Amino acid sequence: MRKLNRRQRLLLGLAFSAAFLIIVCVWGILGAEAARATDFSRKNIPPCLQYPFGTDWLGRDMLARTVKGLSMSILIGITAAAVSAVIALLLGIASATMGRAVDSVVSFVIDLIMGVPHILLLILISVALGKGLKGVIIGVAVTHWPSLARLIRAEVLQLKEMPYIKIAVKLGKSRWHIAVKHMLPHLLPQFIVGLVLLFPHAILHESSITFLGFGLSTEQPAIGIVLSEAMKYLATGKWWLALFPGLFLVITVALFYILGQSLRKLLDPGSVHQ
Amino acid sequence: MRRTIMAMICAASLAAGLLTGCGQSGGAGEGSGKTDSPATEAGGSSEAGTGSEAGSVAEDSSVSKAAAGDAREDVVVTMPVTSEPESGFDPAYGWGAGEHVHEPLIQSTLVVTNKELQIEKDLATEYSVSDDGMTWTVKIRDDARFTDGEPVTAADVAFTYNNCKEKSSVNDFTMLESAAAVDDTTVEFKMTKPYAIWPYTMAIVGIVPEHAYDENYGQHPIGSGRYIMKQWDKGQQVIFEANPNYYGEAPGIKKVTVLFMEEDAALAAALAGQVDVAHTAASYSDQAIDGYSLYRVDTVDNRGFNLPCFMPEEKDGITYGNAFTSDVKVRRAINIGIDRQEMIDHVLNGYGTAAYSVCDKLPWYNSAAEVAYDPEGAKRLLDEAGWTEGADGIREKDGQKAAFTLMFSSSDSVRQALAEDTANQLKELGIEVTTEGVGWDVAYDRAQAEPLVWGWGAHSPMELYNIYHTLPDSGIGQAGYSPYANEAVDRYMDQALESGSLEESYELWQKAQWDGTTGITQEGDIPWIWLCNVDHLYFVRDGLKVADQKIHPHGHGWSIVNNVDQWGWE
Repeated sequence: MRKLNRRQRLLLGLAFSAAFLIIVCVWGILGAEAARATDFSRKNIPPCLQYPFGTDWLGRDMLARTVKGLSMSILIGITAAAVSAVIALLLGIASATMGRAVDSVVSFVIDLIMGVPHILLLILISVALGKGLKGVIIGVAVTHWPSLARLIRAEVLQLKEMPYIKIAVKLGKSRWHIAVKHMLPHLLPQFIVGLVLLFPHAILHESSITFLGFGLSTEQPAIGIVLSEAMKYLATGKWWLALFPGLFLVITVALFYILGQSLRKLLDPGSVHQ
Repeated sequence: MRRTIMAMICAASLAAGLLTGCGQSGGAGEGSGKTDSPATEAGGSSEAGTGSEAGSVAEDSSVSKAAAGDAREDVVVTMPVTSEPESGFDPAYGWGAGEHVHEPLIQSTLVVTNKELQIEKDLATEYSVSDDGMTWTVKIRDDARFTDGEPVTAADVAFTYNNCKEKSSVNDFTMLESAAAVDDTTVEFKMTKPYAIWPYTMAIVGIVPEHAYDENYGQHPIGSGRYIMKQWDKGQQVIFEANPNYYGEAPGIKKVTVLFMEEDAALAAALAGQVDVAHTAASYSDQAIDGYSLYRVDTVDNRGFNLPCFMPEEKDGITYGNAFTSDVKVRRAINIGIDRQEMIDHVLNGYGTAAYSVCDKLPWYNSAAEVAYDPEGAKRLLDEAGWTEGADGIREKDGQKAAFTLMFSSSDSVRQALAEDTANQLKELGIEVTTEGVGWDVAYDRAQAEPLVWGWGAHSPMELYNIYHTLPDSGIGQAGYSPYANEAVDRYMDQALESGSLEESYELWQKAQWDGTTGITQEGDIPWIWLCNVDHLYFVRDGLKVADQKIHPHGHGWSIVNNVDQWGWE
């Protein structure tokens, strides 16, 4: 087999990650019923051919629960990360273009939020909003934007000083024209990579606060719920309840990370030459 | 690239490890101090601190074992963390007399309940009630002393009750006008209304010394009971030692150590041989532990759900009533359409008994509440009521689906399992039940419109009153926890409280449940469905003889040590 070059390997990793995540999402959405169905005649079965991940104390299929939990986490993660990224984009640009006063306010807010541990802020916001889906999404969304906002702000500040932008200004191009034609193409790759790299963060944080009991409610097969329920049965030797969901959570997060890194390298102009 | 992935995986597993470490906070705070806290299966795992504490205690006990030769005189018992009295060992703040009634150990009570839940005397030598039921006169023994050497007088008794009335937020003392000492050994209770079951209140209120009572009493309690509280390490353990000057029979167990921990930690402690009695749940009952055997106690610790009996109506932002369950035939169908034995076998591994009322097996229980599982009869009732099967197998009437949401406390896996099993069983009847885990912060209000899985069971008929009697100032003029009103039921309970003797009142409490024409049972209004009484399970170290228990009320905590003074080692 011909050895793949770096760009091709990246493309392969990208395709694999994307395919895995999409399959999990779709399977999870289709299998919602199976993840909640209880059947006491098949409870506490260790992993076997019929139930590769085993079943829990209510006789629920752990494979279905793991997939559904991951798909919920992914969807919540994507929604929250997307909202977060939009906040970051708006504040980053505002901070860089709207004068010193706005800049110092936004910078102060960024420092403020980054100074408080994420998980603490998340719990506070989620509980204040009455837990549940809304609380988690808003909580994750309003805590994850600062680093990306800072990146965008720096990028815009840098771009503003570029000679070709200055020339465009001198030539009398409108602000809108400069923003769309000259700035956006440079900003977009950074933004997309930043957005994708927000996903694993958002997913991990969603599952953490759900695990701690401040997120989604117990009847939802979220991955944090699945894991926290499993904790009670570890002492009785039911290892499969925690192992598979935990492992797959780690894999999902790692795949998102690979996705982000591959994107970053592909969008890097230098990679074309490989 | 590979390194970053490895780093990522390591970081993620580290994060998972960290999360595991702080799993304790799962259900903390939910329902504590409320009428219905999740006692059976609070969520989360143990903290490292609790485990090491158990270790040091076990060392203690082995020391005293060595000192005493073969016969041990101490015992180490685990209890759920929710059993630790937040406000201390003060009866005014719920110790013994709170949500989960039990004997206060440190203090003595005027009377006690025996195994059949009949009243026997303790501090009291005799008690009587005036003909109009408005005055109770109690004579107390003169040889009882507090552990600081002062005698227990009628003034202390009067002080205790007046103090409870003034301060108690967890217990109802509205029937008491005031208490007064007539002489050193006679105390008189003036009532605001006749209250025939007053002895059941006297059985749970521990007498405190007036001379040694201040706001910190709960932290350093002094009493005249069987035990002295020696040490309290908050969040970990309480150590009791036998009261050498106790007026009754000297306790056989000289030292009782109570450790507060979750069930999985208790199991681990038993596996490590660190405790003598470890509370446990049905889901752990199949664990075999060397040197321990499973001990089950009969309970009235019931689980059931409410079915709002009114059509929906909104008041002050809260919806009262539920259109589907307001149909009495629907409620009757649900009651006979549930296979309680199947539920007990599946959810409780067989460790439970079928429940048909909130007070099964108690002297005021009316056995007319019992029903047989009859799915065909249930379907017939639904057909009669006009709920006919739709295309998807779910019944409908006038375009409305036969469906409701069944809520459960999100930190309680037993209630969750019962809710899920109820949903499965009712689906067979063509009723669609959606389960939802909720916190106690919203559960009480939402239960006015949607069924909720509750846990009840107390050593007093007052619980019937609290659940089924209408309250003038509640919501839309119905019973407190779930919309229901029946004048006949109210009248019987009022009469029961006004009756002259306990025996007479038992009969009236039974009539309130079913008098032949109306009531709260299957043929009556059936506003609550009762599923099962959850056995209280313990791993007990071989050789320890746990004395016969009276039927346990709701709460998997202090009840087990009610008679710890009568335990012994073989």
